[in-house]
Amino acid sequence: MKNQSNLTPETSLRTIHDTMSQAQSAMYLAGTSTILLLWGGVVAVGYLAEFLIANYATDFADNSPWFHAPLWGALVAAGMVASGIIGSRASKQLADPDTARRAGLKVFAFWITVVAAAWVIPALSGIWTSPETAQHTASIAIGIIALGYILFGLMFRLELSVLGIGIAAAHYVPSQLAGDNAYAITAVLILILVVGGALWLRKTGIQ
Amino acid sequence: MAAENWHTMTDSEPIILNETIHQPTRLRIMTLLVSQPESSRLTYGFIQSNLVLTGGNLTTHLRKLEDANYLRITKEFHNQKPRTWIQATRNGRKAFADYYSNLQKVLDLRPSGRA
Repeated sequence: MKNQSNLTPETSLRTIHDTMSQAQSAMYLAGTSTILLLWGGVVAVGYLAEFLIANYATDFADNSPWFHAPLWGALVAAGMVASGIIGSRASKQLADPDTARRAGLKVFAFWITVVAAAWVIPALSGIWTSPETAQHTASIAIGIIALGYILFGLMFRLELSVLGIGIAAAHYVPSQLAGDNAYAITAVLILILVVGGALWLRKTGIQ
Repeated sequence: MAAENWHTMTDSEPIILNETIHQPTRLRIMTLLVSQPESSRLTYGFIQSNLVLTGGNLTTHLRKLEDANYLRITKEFHNQKPRTWIQATRNGRKAFADYYSNLQKVLDLRPSGRA
């Protein structure tokens, strides 16, 4: 047996497997950094609205404890539509429309499941509809969405798992320590986190 | 330096690894292409950014694979911007499948087994 190429059979096999998994990740991660920025904006607007309503529209908050659901529901719906458009445009830069659509649909299905769980679980458990517990809706939803980031990161790019942990911390730490200002602090922390995360992802080649 | 084949002898026949594919960059290009469904095309930009190659390097290897009829390169305009598409041919897919199968045979014959 002889070899005058700089590939051994072992490295060839490893190259094949590494390239396959890298290509799959790249397809699934198309547009991720832009989508991340978008969601940072969506979540920051949500928390800012919660902060403003809790502090400057107390009558409305007391009389309409259900407001968390339509507020976050509208923001999340807008975010999902915008994410779909960004992801679809980004993946079309990589492959033909059919291939891009196949990858995009899987990613969209993953996130729609996460987002649906984030709202269905609090709704079915009655947390949303009870005046005493409605305020905890965001805490549960953000936990499930952070878990989505952690799982997506474990599958495709570990940096996203770190971001998921950061998103959870940006919510739970201020909610325990910052009292009435918790929502505003969370909004700022999440914005900082997603801008930093998006820059970090772009540095590693994810657009 | 011209690359030569990895080859080994079994009792009955030699196992030869296709020298066009058995080169690091061309192996990665072919893997990227054949890992997609048969009708799929990838953009030049995707291959370049995914494999972190310079334009000149990628073009050289694409030409070699195109000359071997392992891939097809087409240029189209999309929103008035040129876009280059790369697609594995049926011949290229078969060559890659044969290469992979021979690679496994070589690894099975090695005393240490597979990596």
